[in-house]
Amino acid sequence: MTVSKSETVKLVSAEGFEFIIDRKAAVVSNTLKNMLSSSGNFTETELGEVNFPEISTPILEKVCQYFYWSLQFASGKETEFVIEPEMTLELMMAANYLHT
Amino acid sequence: MNPAKKKNFKIEPFKHKVEMDPKYAEKTWKILEDAIHEIYNHNASGLSFEELYRNAYNMVLHKYGEKLYSGVVATMTQHLREIARIVEAAQGGLFLEELDVKWREHNKSLQMIRDILMYMDRTFVNNFNKTPVHELGLNLWRDYIVRSPKIKDRLLNTLLDLVHRERTGEVINRGLMRNITKMLVELGLPVYQEDFERPFLEAASDFYRLESQQLIETSDCPDYLRKAEKRLNEEIERVAHYLDSKSEAKITQVVEREVIGNRLKLLVEMENSGLISMLIDDKYDDLGRMYNLFRRINTGLQTMRELMTAHLRETGRQLVTDPERLKDPVEFVQRLLDEKDKYDKIIQQSFNNDKMFQNALNSSFEYFINLNIRSPEFISLFVDDKLRKGLKGVSEEDVELVLDKVMMLFRYLQEKDVFEKYYKQHLAKRLLSGRTVSDDAERSLIVKLKTECGYQFTSKLEGMFTDMKTSRDTMQGFNSTWAGAEGNDGPTLTVQVLTTGSWPTQSGARCTMPTEILAMCDKFKMYYLSTHTGRRLTWQTNMGTADLKATFGDGNKHELNVSTYQMCILCLFNTSDHLTYREIEQATDIPAPDLKRNLQSLACVKGKNVLRKEPMSKDISEDDVFIFNDKFSSKFYKVKISTVVAQKESEPEKQETRQKVEEDRKPQIEAAIVRIMKSRRLLDHNNIISEVTKQLQARFMPNPAVIKKRIESLIEREFLERDRTDRKLYRYLA
Repeated sequence: MTVSKSETVKLVSAEGFEFIIDRKAAVVSNTLKNMLSSSGNFTETELGEVNFPEISTPILEKVCQYFYWSLQFASGKETEFVIEPEMTLELMMAANYLHT
Repeated sequence: MNPAKKKNFKIEPFKHKVEMDPKYAEKTWKILEDAIHEIYNHNASGLSFEELYRNAYNMVLHKYGEKLYSGVVATMTQHLREIARIVEAAQGGLFLEELDVKWREHNKSLQMIRDILMYMDRTFVNNFNKTPVHELGLNLWRDYIVRSPKIKDRLLNTLLDLVHRERTGEVINRGLMRNITKMLVELGLPVYQEDFERPFLEAASDFYRLESQQLIETSDCPDYLRKAEKRLNEEIERVAHYLDSKSEAKITQVVEREVIGNRLKLLVEMENSGLISMLIDDKYDDLGRMYNLFRRINTGLQTMRELMTAHLRETGRQLVTDPERLKDPVEFVQRLLDEKDKYDKIIQQSFNNDKMFQNALNSSFEYFINLNIRSPEFISLFVDDKLRKGLKGVSEEDVELVLDKVMMLFRYLQEKDVFEKYYKQHLAKRLLSGRTVSDDAERSLIVKLKTECGYQFTSKLEGMFTDMKTSRDTMQGFNSTWAGAEGNDGPTLTVQVLTTGSWPTQSGARCTMPTEILAMCDKFKMYYLSTHTGRRLTWQTNMGTADLKATFGDGNKHELNVSTYQMCILCLFNTSDHLTYREIEQATDIPAPDLKRNLQSLACVKGKNVLRKEPMSKDISEDDVFIFNDKFSSKFYKVKISTVVAQKESEPEKQETRQKVEEDRKPQIEAAIVRIMKSRRLLDHNNIISEVTKQLQARFMPNPAVIKKRIESLIEREFLERDRTDRKLYRYLA
């Protein structure tokens, strides 16, 4: 399958919103990295698509933003990542889940 | 963004927990358990990683970590038991392959399981000190497969059997072997070491013990070593191909011990093919192989060295004590050099220029060269031969080469002063007779001796060269003063003025010279003393030479090159054809031994017998009568009549030289004692002896008894005194 090798992956939120992001951004999350590159043939690995029935759209969006911010940070561009106080708790749970 | 929504999400888990508590865990675990089954059955393609991960995540989050963990252990164990049955059932050769296939499958499954249980690994396993999933999977594999009673021994035996088969020449599936040993290593180094390596080494040990036993009975040493080397390389290659790299040192050690170490003595001492035969026959390759193999063994090189040293000493001893060899000193020294060259080459080519072997070689040479008391004399004679004729037409580099070799032998000498003594004599002869091949070579050797032994050692030798040069200048002056004063037919005189002390002069030399010569000598004396006042000239008639023009019967004319003594004798025959020994002795006043020797060379050497003797015999007796040999003829116009002087010294001369050397040593020893005592003031007897020996050993090995005598003499002359309380102590008296 060519999809698994593609440069982008699709993340789907609980509400069904699809986020298409670069693979290299997605693998900032260890969990995603494993899902997308596991040696077994899980559906995620084969399709390059991950469903998150327990993560809401705004949180997943924030998470995706974080992935890109993190890449920039790692390459030396140190900007601040703003998190709205009201989503802090959920975001932390998502982070724990995604091992980010 | 929407606070209401957020709150909902937050509360939900609590509701879940409360509502579904009893069934929730069971249900979730069921999903995961099924998934693990599917994974093991290679049916994972329909599974959702996210779902499984989320389920495991939630189980851990809801404190069902222990249930999850033990469930995983149980499920994996169940699968492994199944695998073990399959592997056990595999027939014969398929056993390893089956094991290998299953191992790879297990590894893959294990990875997938680990991936979906990652959250558990991260939190639960860490917090409760459990074994991480991957390691757990390996441990289970180890315990249920590799160490299952039905597999463990079979696996080991199969592996050892394959190795054995390969050792005996069969081709085996190395890739498979590699996979299996890799599996053992992955299960942990202890597993590899205990379950495979140790028995493997034991088997190798047994195998090689047996093989080397058979081999040593049927092969000669070079053959054995070749095979040993091959075996060693095979084992190293084996490790590289399919064993863990840490095994290399261990297995080579086994081979070294069994094949070489335990047969070491037998090998080196093997009759007709061991080390000694190799040395004798210059078997560079075999020797190199032996060196490289034995180097691996602790005592290997030492054993080789000891045997080589013993052999060298023995052959060396035979060489230097063989009476046949003593007849020709040049040949004798040449043999020594050849022997040295031979071993130098062996050490260079086969022994990697090993310093230890070089030292052994040097000490052996030093040992046996000094066994023969005449070695210093012979070495000097060798140099003499080379410098007189041997090096004619040889390039400068080659001359240097020969001289360097001689210096090397010289270094081995303990009695360097004896060498000096002889060297001086030989050099004097060369210089006076103008027979040296190359002044450069002479000087080069002096420089070498100087760097080796210091200025003192060569100062007299250098003095000799200076004398030669001064004499040339003096003669020029003399000739220009007196030239033409005599007719051309008169005798010409060439004088070398020698400084007493620098040259090996004999005080006993005397003879009555023919009057015409005597006149010349007086003239020279006058000339010399007129330019150098306050000097005393004595004629060293024993060291000179003369060219005589002689006319024989049939008008045969020859020029005879003779010694001064011979000239005196021959001049007597100008007035008479018949002379008795006594008459000659009276007329010439030559000391009897010299006279006899010179007469012998005039009358008894075939082709050069200018005189006839009655009765004919080889030796001169005091009743002989000598007659001018009218029938003398020779192909050459110039005839050189050499004095019959055995190049080697005769026995009494040897004694004399020896005595002179001993005499010369006395002041040196005394000087050393005084030097030492001057700085130490107080020293006991043994320490003096050892210090003196240390100071003088560059020149000779002083005998303790002689040192003692010198000490006594110094006490007598009040340089030293014995301590009043401790008689062993000596005190220096300023």
